[in-house]
Amino acid sequence: MLQTDRISRSFGGVFAVRDVSLSIAEGELRGIIGPNGAGKSTLFNLITGHLRPDHGGLTYRGRRIDRASPHHRASLGISIVFQGARLFRGMTVLENVMVGAHTWTRHGFWSGALRLPRYWREEHRIRDRAKAAVDRVGLAPWAGRYAESLPLGHQRRLQIARALCAQPKLLLLDEPASGLRAEERQQVARVVRQLHREGLTMMLVEHDVGFVTGLADRVTVLDLGEVIADGTPEEIREDERVIAAYLGEGAADA
Amino acid sequence: MNRPTFGYAVAALAAAASFAVPLMLDRSQLTIFILLGTAVIVTTGLSLLMGYAGQVSLGQGSFYAVGAYTAGLMAVHGLPTLLGLAAAPVLAAALAALVGVPLLRLRGHYLAFATLAVQLILLSLVGQFEFTGGDIGLRGIPQLGVGDATLIDPLAYAYVTLAAAALVLLVTRNLIKSRPGRGLRALASTEVAAESAGVPVGRYKLAVFSLSAAYAGLAGGIYAFYLGYISPGSFPVLLSVQFVVMAVVGGLGTVWGPVVGATLITLLVQALNSLGTMPGMPAYAPDVLSYAVYALLLILVLLFMPRGLLPSIGSRLEDRRAISPTRS
Repeated sequence: MLQTDRISRSFGGVFAVRDVSLSIAEGELRGIIGPNGAGKSTLFNLITGHLRPDHGGLTYRGRRIDRASPHHRASLGISIVFQGARLFRGMTVLENVMVGAHTWTRHGFWSGALRLPRYWREEHRIRDRAKAAVDRVGLAPWAGRYAESLPLGHQRRLQIARALCAQPKLLLLDEPASGLRAEERQQVARVVRQLHREGLTMMLVEHDVGFVTGLADRVTVLDLGEVIADGTPEEIREDERVIAAYLGEGAADA
Repeated sequence: MNRPTFGYAVAALAAAASFAVPLMLDRSQLTIFILLGTAVIVTTGLSLLMGYAGQVSLGQGSFYAVGAYTAGLMAVHGLPTLLGLAAAPVLAAALAALVGVPLLRLRGHYLAFATLAVQLILLSLVGQFEFTGGDIGLRGIPQLGVGDATLIDPLAYAYVTLAAAALVLLVTRNLIKSRPGRGLRALASTEVAAESAGVPVGRYKLAVFSLSAAYAGLAGGIYAFYLGYISPGSFPVLLSVQFVVMAVVGGLGTVWGPVVGATLITLLVQALNSLGTMPGMPAYAPDVLSYAVYALLLILVLLFMPRGLLPSIGSRLEDRRAISPTRS
């Protein structure tokens, strides 16, 4: 599905991501963990196209996407749920999700402003799919509310719904559970697990190791921009370097 | 009454009122009505640009001027006036698309100043060229018409303006509830997330900038035909500021806000003008009063109704009949 070939990106001479080669298989749920500043978010930005790599390349479904813009990559099927809550304010939950439909619809300013046939054809489908996505994440009762008025946990699920409305083939989740209460984390985990069961390929960045190892098929550990370990959740938990670099001595004892 | 029905009722009422009002006005009042209509058209575009898409323009007067000069020059050179009126928005949009490529990389204050600079440059260019009539301006622009039938009656212009304003409002309303409209509103909050949701941010910003310029150009065309005389002095920077004040006072990010804002400001400026030109007032009184009223209104609205008149009143009404089924 996705291969990164020794991609690197530095800021002011410091590598944020260095020679990272990953291969994500179709249907895989890959966890990415690492301490603060390990390069997890930079890696995601390189995949979404918000950052360009200094070296190395990206191959997605057999084609190079290094030069594709973020919105082009989105239309190729790469969606992301951002860290925090990057919502579209002043728009309802449903409208937020409808924006995601940009990837598979075409009508532009003329069709929209003049209500040409293309608008009518697409608008109903957009609304239906967006409603389905809102339903999936359990936000149907909030569909008409302004996005910014929702609690954080709901906002995260809203972002997931928006990404789903784009009909992604590869979904990136950047710390979807951070800052949430236990119950909200469970809701997010349930949605992710369900999507995994349906065969959606995902990459999950999380600070909380337990959350990732409970969900992921494989886990890649980054430290200072480099891959220091890669394996099943069980292997990762046992890995000496991981324990030293990331979990720390205290965690190893516990 | 549910929301859409309520909205349609208000729209129908406003349409009926604005259709009836010109019949009751005398000649000088009709001029005010027409100027008000052109202000509504420009402000609607500006509100779309600023309120929905989050991009600032302090140079909307320059597109107004381009529209006016396009229509005026074409008519003066004997081209059909309707063609001139049609070309006015097209040329204004073309200029916006051209300057928009570098300009829209800027944000916030920088974009505001850059658009202001565009207007200053444009005005000084127009003042230099001979074919535009220089500083003296363009005189003797023929009346709008088809063939031999020309519009002389201000009442006819009032209805032309009304039709144009209705068209612009309809286009705007349709647009914001469509795929590109949602994309614009999304990129106003966060361009990064909008891009990742598939919104072609750069292209959309350029398109909405051009569309708002097209509105201004159309208004400028009507203005040129109605007055029959334009000069660089007809499009001062204060005019651009006035459009911004109208948009902000009425309420950014609403369809009807520009109508409310433009009406309020136009009537207020007229009232102050008659006050300022009363016998015994100094010659600079009208200018001082109009500047003062922009400043005062802007400060008052931003202090007490930061979202503008219409949204503030709207949400107050909504609070009253609020049913929040999901508040747990």
